[in-house]
Amino acid sequence: MIAETTKQALQALFPEPEPVVEEIVEAPAETEESAKEQKKEEGPRPNGVIERDYKVHGYHIDAQVAVDQLIDAIQILDDAEFFIETITGVDWIKEGEFEIIYDFSRYDFEVCRIVIRTRVSRENPIVPTITGIYAGANWHERETHDFFGIKFEGHPHLIPLLLPEDADFHPLRKDFKA
Amino acid sequence: MGAENIPSISEPVPSSIVQFAAADKLINICRANSFWPLTFGIACCAIEMMATGCARFDMSRFGAEVFRPSPRQSDVMIVAGTITKKMMPGIKTLYDQMPEPKWVMALGNCAISGGPFAFEGQYSIVLGADQFLPVDVYVPGCPPRPEALLQGIIELEHKVSGWKRWKDPEASAKA
Amino acid sequence: MSKPIQLGPDETFVLNVGPQHPATHGVLRVKMRMDGEYIVDSETVIGYIHRMHEKMGEIKPYPQYLMNLSRMDYLGAVGYSHGHVLCVEKAAGIEVPERAEYIRVIMVELNRIASHLFWFGAFVMDLGGFSPLMYALQDREHILDMMEAVTGSRLTYCYFRFGGLYNDIDDQFIDAARRFIPRMRKSLDKYDKLVTGNIIFRKRLEGNAFLSKETCRKYGASSAVARGSGINFDVRKNEPYSVYPELDFEVPVFHECDSLARYNVRMAEIEQSLRIVEQALDKLPDGLFMAEKAPKIIKPPAGDYYQAVETARGSFGVRLVSDGTKTPYRLKLRSPTYSNMHLFDETCRGMMIMDALAFMGSLDLVIPEIDR
Repeated sequence: MIAETTKQALQALFPEPEPVVEEIVEAPAETEESAKEQKKEEGPRPNGVIERDYKVHGYHIDAQVAVDQLIDAIQILDDAEFFIETITGVDWIKEGEFEIIYDFSRYDFEVCRIVIRTRVSRENPIVPTITGIYAGANWHERETHDFFGIKFEGHPHLIPLLLPEDADFHPLRKDFKA
Repeated sequence: MGAENIPSISEPVPSSIVQFAAADKLINICRANSFWPLTFGIACCAIEMMATGCARFDMSRFGAEVFRPSPRQSDVMIVAGTITKKMMPGIKTLYDQMPEPKWVMALGNCAISGGPFAFEGQYSIVLGADQFLPVDVYVPGCPPRPEALLQGIIELEHKVSGWKRWKDPEASAKA
Repeated sequence: MSKPIQLGPDETFVLNVGPQHPATHGVLRVKMRMDGEYIVDSETVIGYIHRMHEKMGEIKPYPQYLMNLSRMDYLGAVGYSHGHVLCVEKAAGIEVPERAEYIRVIMVELNRIASHLFWFGAFVMDLGGFSPLMYALQDREHILDMMEAVTGSRLTYCYFRFGGLYNDIDDQFIDAARRFIPRMRKSLDKYDKLVTGNIIFRKRLEGNAFLSKETCRKYGASSAVARGSGINFDVRKNEPYSVYPELDFEVPVFHECDSLARYNVRMAEIEQSLRIVEQALDKLPDGLFMAEKAPKIIKPPAGDYYQAVETARGSFGVRLVSDGTKTPYRLKLRSPTYSNMHLFDETCRGMMIMDALAFMGSLDLVIPEIDR
């Protein structure tokens, strides 16, 4: 199974591979106390690989990596012949961070969708480019740069794509005002 | 005798000392019956514009089927779609390149007022073609039906020549 | 494709195609560095119809956003709505009645045929033949008539709701759809004789714009662009959703990797879509067209969700990041043409300009869908 092998390869990136399987929350059994406990447990998510329920989330493997592990993680997917679906960002303004999400899928009939995510601080958002591995990431990275102002280090042509050539604003930042 | 005697010409024809009112009237009727629109689609409304030009709705019944790809050869600009700030200078240039006399039709809600894309925080679009072009006819709809575009063409004919294809049904009902 | 003679950089010039150009199907602009009639290098400039659907997604509550999807891609509007409603339904856990899902599939497939017909007409027009457009749009009008009677609009359908549909289909629609299928098959034969068998057309497209499997993968191409390059990839089969697993259809794949292969894939897809509509009409169950318990205000639990669907233009994805409120925290729309168009710059190097424009036509571009 490609999902298993890719998961293992991605886990090898982390020094202590601890597979965290998503717990299925039983809705009716939820008391107030358990809800409080859950809230306490929520915090910044540690880097690592999580297996997700495909029927709920629409993807199988969700890997959060550090910025310097990104290229290695993408390389694993390229070696396993995944194709790039899209790249996007999310502005988590309360935590002061940008999340960059990379989506990958496969052309063959072994359904396996993989999400790679990484987080950078809002003040200094710099991520290495993956255009060296996936040429098709070029426009996706430019779009993410347009909308969030995330800089992709080493990108060959990081100028506004969808916005006008002289645009200096980033509309999908949560603090953007027209 | 002069151009002002011809009813409902809003765009004044460049006047000369010698005027030929009868000839002007005739020329205007010819113009009204043979619009050459610019092939210029921006968004959804352009598809309805193409549908109007094709078999079922057949714009050539009104003489307006000769879509020209070059602004130099056309006299009606149908602004069919949302105008973005990035596109606006291009549209202005196209309009400037069209020879006089020329008319502009704003097709669809986006070209009239920004339509569904005008919202708080919108930074990208121009709220209507009339912000920078002299619009003669507005055709509402999202997108307008082909019949609406044909009605727009008829209205423009009326505006250009003062001549009507058929009587206004409402006015004749009152009389 | 033969490589151009390398001249010094001084002898090349820059040719600007668009943003207003009849061959670009909208407001697309391509800057090409030319060496005579050969393209040395090209840079696609997009964003001339960028209307910021994604920002609107963050501002509008879920039901109000339904109309945006059809304005994104106006030719295959229903397919895009399908992706959106499936994603939100999955996130919010809304059950959809089986009848509604069947009607959705019928609508999506009819719309796919309409979209391919329009592409067929426009593509042949790009190559210099005007009359096929007239035939194709005439057939397309029949589909629009049927769909308009049910949905209320000709082009930008806002027909799907979370949990079902706006409106049930009636016997009149079913009769019209049944009558349409043999009519369309006849028309396909006509197109075959008129266009596909035409020697000028074939010579023009055979061997035009070779796209390897590897290029497709690196750029994430989908739809006929991938299937014309021998990649058997169709989200309806690879990642079955809705009621597609219950319907019998094939995914046409051609291995020539040229523009003619992409053309053939789309023409074969029309026939497959007809088959799907035929079966779905036969299997159409009775029942509700809208779930009774569908909530009015939709608040998916916090988390992120992804749903891919196969639209007329390829694999369309919706990524929804919810924070548990009634508006999405982030709504990413992965548009297939964005990836397909991105191929153009790399592939058109060394091609002659008229071949490049034929290639551009074979990509089936809808510009507002690229720019969003």
